[in-house]
Amino acid sequence: MIESHALADAVMALLLITNLLLLGFGYLNACVRAVALQGLVVGLLPLIMGGGSPLWRVAALTAVGMGIKGVVFPRMLSKLLRDVEVRREVEPFVGHGLSIALGVGAMGFSLWVSSKLGPLVAARNAWMISAGLATLLVGLFLIVSRRKAVSQVLGYIVLENGVYTFGLATVGHVPLLVELGVLMDAFVAVFIMSIAAYHISREFNHMDVDLLDKLRD
Amino acid sequence: MTAKAFIRVARWGGITLAALAAAAACVVLRRGPVLFADGWFALDALSAFHLGVLALVFGSASWFAEPYFEGTLTPSQARRFAALWFGAFCAMVLVLCCGNLGLMWVGIEATTLLTAFLICTHVTPLSLEATWKYLVVCSVGVAFAFMGTLLVAASAHGLQLDASSTLLWTQLRERAVFLHPGTMKLAFLFLLVGYGTKAGLAPLHGWLPDAHSQAPAPVSALFSGFMLNASFYCLLRILPIAEAATGNVGWARGLLVFFGLASIVVAACFIVFQHDSKRLLAYHSVEHLGIIALAAGLGGLGTFAALWHTLNHALCKALAFFCAGRLGQAYGSHDLRRMAGALRAGRLWAAAFFASLLALIGVAPFAIFMSELQILRAAAERRAFIAMAVFLLGVSVVFVGALKHALVMAWGEPVQRPEPEKESVGTHVLVWGMLGMLLVLGLWLPTPLSDAMRAAAGIVEGRP
Repeated sequence: MIESHALADAVMALLLITNLLLLGFGYLNACVRAVALQGLVVGLLPLIMGGGSPLWRVAALTAVGMGIKGVVFPRMLSKLLRDVEVRREVEPFVGHGLSIALGVGAMGFSLWVSSKLGPLVAARNAWMISAGLATLLVGLFLIVSRRKAVSQVLGYIVLENGVYTFGLATVGHVPLLVELGVLMDAFVAVFIMSIAAYHISREFNHMDVDLLDKLRD
Repeated sequence: MTAKAFIRVARWGGITLAALAAAAACVVLRRGPVLFADGWFALDALSAFHLGVLALVFGSASWFAEPYFEGTLTPSQARRFAALWFGAFCAMVLVLCCGNLGLMWVGIEATTLLTAFLICTHVTPLSLEATWKYLVVCSVGVAFAFMGTLLVAASAHGLQLDASSTLLWTQLRERAVFLHPGTMKLAFLFLLVGYGTKAGLAPLHGWLPDAHSQAPAPVSALFSGFMLNASFYCLLRILPIAEAATGNVGWARGLLVFFGLASIVVAACFIVFQHDSKRLLAYHSVEHLGIIALAAGLGGLGTFAALWHTLNHALCKALAFFCAGRLGQAYGSHDLRRMAGALRAGRLWAAAFFASLLALIGVAPFAIFMSELQILRAAAERRAFIAMAVFLLGVSVVFVGALKHALVMAWGEPVQRPEPEKESVGTHVLVWGMLGMLLVLGLWLPTPLSDAMRAAAGIVEGRP
């Protein structure tokens, strides 16, 4: 199991690095590539965690996970970016430097939280739990701090990746049907958000969600 | 196929599906719980009761869809509406039928995704804005509910359940006292935030007024009449498990009371200043979901009242949205001030809207008054006097605020004179039938219904 531990550590490190890249990149295309890398990394996790489950199950989950998160999502997003012809700069509300600093802060916070989660951590994988939580927080931050609808979709994917990692770390094996249902939902969610973002850009000639403020009390 | 044909398919298909759901609910209520596929699918009195409410709302909204959409949709819009309409129903049935908390989550997320494009059946900038907010807020909110579901599974580590039964509520309910209490508390918090967002509990209700006001009326009716309750149903499922795991000290119930009161107060503040008829109804949804949460949190008699209120609110709100939608079409605006004097002009929809608003704010002898009275009794029984005072204050503010709008709508000085309405006999039957049910339920509760609600309340109370 030693190699598998080393591998898991490497994967977690990659996950955290992609988080920081997403916070730092200034162009949407680069962010899409970072999300693709993160998707592949997260998709690999069931294979690394493997222990105890039948091989076919692990293989199926890894294939579907990597396929959806690492290939299908980035393709949908690149297609969206091609179709809508918006400017490709990220234009965040919070500067890149501060974003990265907050990302590092999120990692520290998640480490602290996972050290408090007694019974879960005793099981195993404290490291993975904190990586999952940090990814989730970064996803949330991307959703609230970015202007373009595409960035919010990116943030949602990152959030999903965080939840997925957290789930693998805390529960180990959720029943396959549930796991596939969740992946299916994530897939449809991103698909539908892309269509909605496309309609928004057609209707408004922009996709800056902060300008969607006509409905309020 | 023409647009008309698609809408007709949606109507008759919807009514058939609703009848089937109602029949299934009756069978379960008479024969007792049904389990199949190793407990992955499970129906008991609580699910059957909600299935019945769903059948009522979905059937009447399908019935109403044909007169409402007549001549306003292109064939492709009508086809998309029909497909998503059935899809939304299936997702809600999945939520009610599955015995696995993970699959239940999949169902709730599926309702978000399938209903998103129902909001922009008519594509306008405002409806797109509402769709986007709904998609992002609900998807992110519900992701928290999934974290909660995972934590429930984690809290069951000590039970040595095999993988496929870790998340079955049938299994967890029986062994709830052995769940890890700390983890379960964390899990309940996540679930409350997640499903609470979808159920529209304040302060997580941000998406709700936008989505309800921009969606076409049958969709708003389904949202308000049942989709919010579908999400709240998930909380009712987890409530007895969380309570038993944390030692039955009322920790989880206290949280529900808090969120319920917050929703009532927030909704009351917005209702007073709201002139858009559909947004007004949307804030009423926040208020009533708050009342349901409060009642469920009080427990005892309150649980029964919460379920009764769910039924009353669903019926009343579906009708109110039908009326607001039709009046909006006739007047070309949803502003209540532009509909001034609608009742004096002798319109069916204005009369029904006025009556349903009265029912909504709790005028006797409509059913909502009776269930609210029960909730007061439950609060008095629990000696929860602060909750009672806040509840009464909120409901009174809503009463005065909404009555003011309703009176202007009914008897104000007319601003415009729309075309006279031509409604079919079927529509008259629908409207008067629903109003009649609200009145009858206020005066007399049939024994089979009260038995069903008592059985369902027993499940929420943790007495299987």
